[in-house]
Amino acid sequence: MRTPIAVLTALLAAMTGFTPATATVASAARNGAIAGRVELRRPPSAAGRRPGVSDLGTPAMQPTAERQMSVVYLESAPRGAFEQTESDRAVMDQRNETFVPHVLAVTTGTTVDFPNSDRIYHNVFSLSKTRPFDLGRYPVGRSKSVRFDRPGIVRVFCDIHSHMSAFILVFGHPFFSVTDAAGRYRINNVPPGNYTLVAWNEGVTSESRQVSVPDGSTAEVDFSLK
Amino acid sequence: MGKHRILSPVRLLLLTLPLLCTAHAVAAQGLPAEPFVFGDGRVVVSGDVSMTISCAHAPDAAVCTKDTGFFNFSDYDDSTLRMLRAGLSASVRLGGKLTALGDLRLQNAHRPRPYGFYLRFRPFERRNFDIQGGRIPSTFGSFARRAYNADNPLIGYPLAYQYLTSLRDDALPRTVDDLFRMRGRGWLSSFPLGDQTPEAGMPLANAFRWDTGIQAHGAAGIVEAAASVTAGSLAHPIFHDNNGGKQLAARVSITPAAGLVAGVSASRAPYVTSGSAAAAGAAANDFVQTAFGADVEYSRAHYLLRFETLSVSYDLATIEPRLRALATMVEGRYKVTPRIHVAARLDHLGFNTISSPTRTDAWEAPVTRWEAGGGYALQRNVNLRLSMQHNTRDGGRVRRMTALSAQLLYWF
Repeated sequence: MRTPIAVLTALLAAMTGFTPATATVASAARNGAIAGRVELRRPPSAAGRRPGVSDLGTPAMQPTAERQMSVVYLESAPRGAFEQTESDRAVMDQRNETFVPHVLAVTTGTTVDFPNSDRIYHNVFSLSKTRPFDLGRYPVGRSKSVRFDRPGIVRVFCDIHSHMSAFILVFGHPFFSVTDAAGRYRINNVPPGNYTLVAWNEGVTSESRQVSVPDGSTAEVDFSLK
Repeated sequence: MGKHRILSPVRLLLLTLPLLCTAHAVAAQGLPAEPFVFGDGRVVVSGDVSMTISCAHAPDAAVCTKDTGFFNFSDYDDSTLRMLRAGLSASVRLGGKLTALGDLRLQNAHRPRPYGFYLRFRPFERRNFDIQGGRIPSTFGSFARRAYNADNPLIGYPLAYQYLTSLRDDALPRTVDDLFRMRGRGWLSSFPLGDQTPEAGMPLANAFRWDTGIQAHGAAGIVEAAASVTAGSLAHPIFHDNNGGKQLAARVSITPAAGLVAGVSASRAPYVTSGSAAAAGAAANDFVQTAFGADVEYSRAHYLLRFETLSVSYDLATIEPRLRALATMVEGRYKVTPRIHVAARLDHLGFNTISSPTRTDAWEAPVTRWEAGGGYALQRNVNLRLSMQHNTRDGGRVRRMTALSAQLLYWF
């Protein structure tokens, strides 16, 4: 017979979309890690700015977007993940008509600040079902924030500058990592067990792998995304 | 039914249904949302498609019909409220300092037209100064340069940039009475001098074509300025010179605070062809269009306000005194939710009074228009808009017209 805690956990998992991993976490087990590298077989194309044909002059140069950034995460999180309810804060800045960082990964309950560090107005908004919002136009030096309470992918845009876009990936657990410039990632503090590991990049289809995290060790998993 | 019957909801629904079906299909297809980029960013191609349908009602006319008063017709004989429009824009970087830009547009069943095609040269890497040559964007005012899809909160155009007055570049009135006869008939105007075939007249400033010439543009701090020399006129931009004259245009704008832009513009050019001027026994330089404009835009939080005014005068060697027109427009947009916006525009186009031996009147029929509506973003780049527009005119066969319009807009 299932205990009330098990029933509650199953219900919570169903609500959040995450199911507990097949491996249960032994209390004496030491947590491990998953690390590796994500390679993009086809480099993402440069960020496209709509040709300013009707402009009087050359628009400001836009730095190359960080489109190579990928996110690696556990599709099925261990039970312990659901006990973490600590809210957090993160920042997605607006500089030189670009969102920095281009990809942000946060846990549910996180409040993301959107400061305007540019020289001009911006209007951050999202039409995503996960968290639709529109912060309106606000000037340099000001910041507005949004709290993300549901897991999912949030596509962020600027209503004034159509070439500005970014992603916020909201997870119901803390087992994710954003790759660095070399494509490396590391997810720490993973309880030993078998998991489905997913690598996501905006320009390519995400790819999943089965991974077994040994007791107190690091599992190495590399991805090569098409 | 009486004179002021409302639009039949069933008929309107039948008209809107195809648009809604297309909107759903477009939103579901996952069409491109960003420009196509080739050659490591050297070539960028973007596009937009808009499909507009409308149901107009004028007194003594059918309940749901086309714009019988021709209030919304453009110089390509199309109504802006019943139009399928597609455009492709491209920029090709030819080096560190040179870029080629082009804009191809297709309107209804017409052949595609090169709206703009020019070279942009940036001589100094660290200075915000450009020289553009070819078929270039308008120097004057602010509306003509705005991207229609993103920057027009409504469906219709401002009167100054679209409404056709009776004046033509290839036909001229001999007397003031010739002008009076054409009041409110700019969509099909005819005069005794020059080409006597009835044709569409000219708007005060043309938002549907760009002129050909050279333009310099610079910005420093809060000030931005541009000046150009082109072959046509503000009312009639052209590709090939047709009168030996040149349009001189300039614009200065300042951005004193974030979200506030104020600009002034001026333009002067002969606006008739050499042939029609000769038919009047004069030179093209005796027929000059002079325009002054002022525009202000202010935005903050979820609202946007715009004001623009154009004061235009026409010298006609055949008629005294000088003809004048004043267009004033104010519009606002408010974003209610991330997906929904509402907007409204109030627009007036007035003309000075002149006299013939038998009559004293404004040389063209004054027009007032209001338009109110809103939009729903199915996706960031797929918008469905609805608007209601009401026009009144002090002249012409149809003096009042109300139109309900729906538009589906897609851009990448």
